[in-house]
Amino acid sequence: MGQWAGYLQLILDGAVVTIKLTLMGSALALVMAFLAGLGRLSRFAPVRWLATAYIEFFRGTSIFVQLFWAYFVLPLFGFTLTPLQAGVLALGLNVGAYAAEVVRGAVKSIGKEQYEACTALNFNRWQGLRNVILPQAFVLMLPTFGNNAIELLKASAVVSLISLSDMTFQAQVVRAQTGSTLFPFLTILILYFAIACVISFAIRGLERHLTRGLDGIRS
Amino acid sequence: MPPTNTAPIIEINGINKSFGAFKVLNDLSFSVAPREKLALIGPSGSGKTTILRILMTLEGIDSGEILVDGDSLYQMKRNGKLQPADDAHLHKMREKIGMVFQLFNLFPHKCVLDNVTLAPMLTKGASRKDAEHHAMELLDMVGLADKAKSMPSQLSGGQKQRVAIARALALKPKIMLFDEVTSALDPELVEEVLNVLWKLCRETDMTMLLVTHEMGFAHDFADRVLFFDRGRIVEDGKPDEIFRHPKQERTQAFLKKIIAAGHRV
Repeated sequence: MGQWAGYLQLILDGAVVTIKLTLMGSALALVMAFLAGLGRLSRFAPVRWLATAYIEFFRGTSIFVQLFWAYFVLPLFGFTLTPLQAGVLALGLNVGAYAAEVVRGAVKSIGKEQYEACTALNFNRWQGLRNVILPQAFVLMLPTFGNNAIELLKASAVVSLISLSDMTFQAQVVRAQTGSTLFPFLTILILYFAIACVISFAIRGLERHLTRGLDGIRS
Repeated sequence: MPPTNTAPIIEINGINKSFGAFKVLNDLSFSVAPREKLALIGPSGSGKTTILRILMTLEGIDSGEILVDGDSLYQMKRNGKLQPADDAHLHKMREKIGMVFQLFNLFPHKCVLDNVTLAPMLTKGASRKDAEHHAMELLDMVGLADKAKSMPSQLSGGQKQRVAIARALALKPKIMLFDEVTSALDPELVEEVLNVLWKLCRETDMTMLLVTHEMGFAHDFADRVLFFDRGRIVEDGKPDEIFRHPKQERTQAFLKKIIAAGHRV
């Protein structure tokens, strides 16, 4: 059993990288989701086009290709990124494109009467969005954001292909060194699942916290 | 009492409004004196709610002109020329007008007090302390000071509507629009809302436009009643004239139907 302890440590080191990627990628995805999701609802056509182009492009091409662009092609244009930066960029932009549609859908699902109350109370567009629409829409976005974050966690395994030593990369290292597939891949199976569970519970907790005393918002 | 010989606070000149092929308002004109309490009655689809929504700038008009307090609502002067109103102009005009909706439209994620304080803090730069102080006075006036910390979901329909009234009053509008504010309420809750309207009617200087199916209340409340049908004003007069001695056939038929449905006139 002793020999596995060192290998387990290796995989746990990888888990730290995976968690880092997931957190940073999710943060970028969240920003992109709001920028593009609200951008698609803009009054200004060029903003809508830009947002739509981003969403369609990043949903319509594979995360694998996007990652290779970020890591291997961008340097050709003078942008050199570390593997972690490239991973965060590709994951964040990719998942952000999906989450943008979640933002748009949730904002649009808030009833017309809430917008009319904002007009009648003389809020400008931003005041209404910030104080009335988004707080209600955010609650609706949360469950799907949870899904997106778990998708991002699982997709983060592709960074092993640009030699970033995440959990999957480390599992392959252990497999190569020991010849055992069962041990490393059972370990990361459990770890991925555990991290996904943490994300689910965190989102559900946040959702409960935000919906206290609230029943007017569909969920 | 409506003052006489003063410039009207609302002047509507020949406005038209269609939703697709359906003409809601047809060359409609009328004016409202400052402090006047006006009841707008008529069958559904007659355009009375649309008038309020247009005054609140929730709907635009196809043609015609509306003056509120002497200024055009949907047009503004720039470089001596009339142009469609921009956001800043609409913002300035909306300061004069408040509206209460049939379905309350409270903010479900904010407590009663925050529902009332949000607008003064955002649009008038009121401090939280001042806004809360004024809000508590208003909540007290509508009889809900003890519910300040409740969420809208914990209130009855009548209570929600009274909060919505306090919320609209918090901006101190000159003109208040009430759009069928008791239509969504259970019968036993109607009175508590009408009592608040009564109080406002007697104790304030606001100009009030009330769209309602409560004919008894309209009779007692209004200085003047407009009967709408098919986007036009069919009859315009004192409550007694309209309700007791309607001249037009359509008004008579409408009132007959309403009475048959059990409403007191």
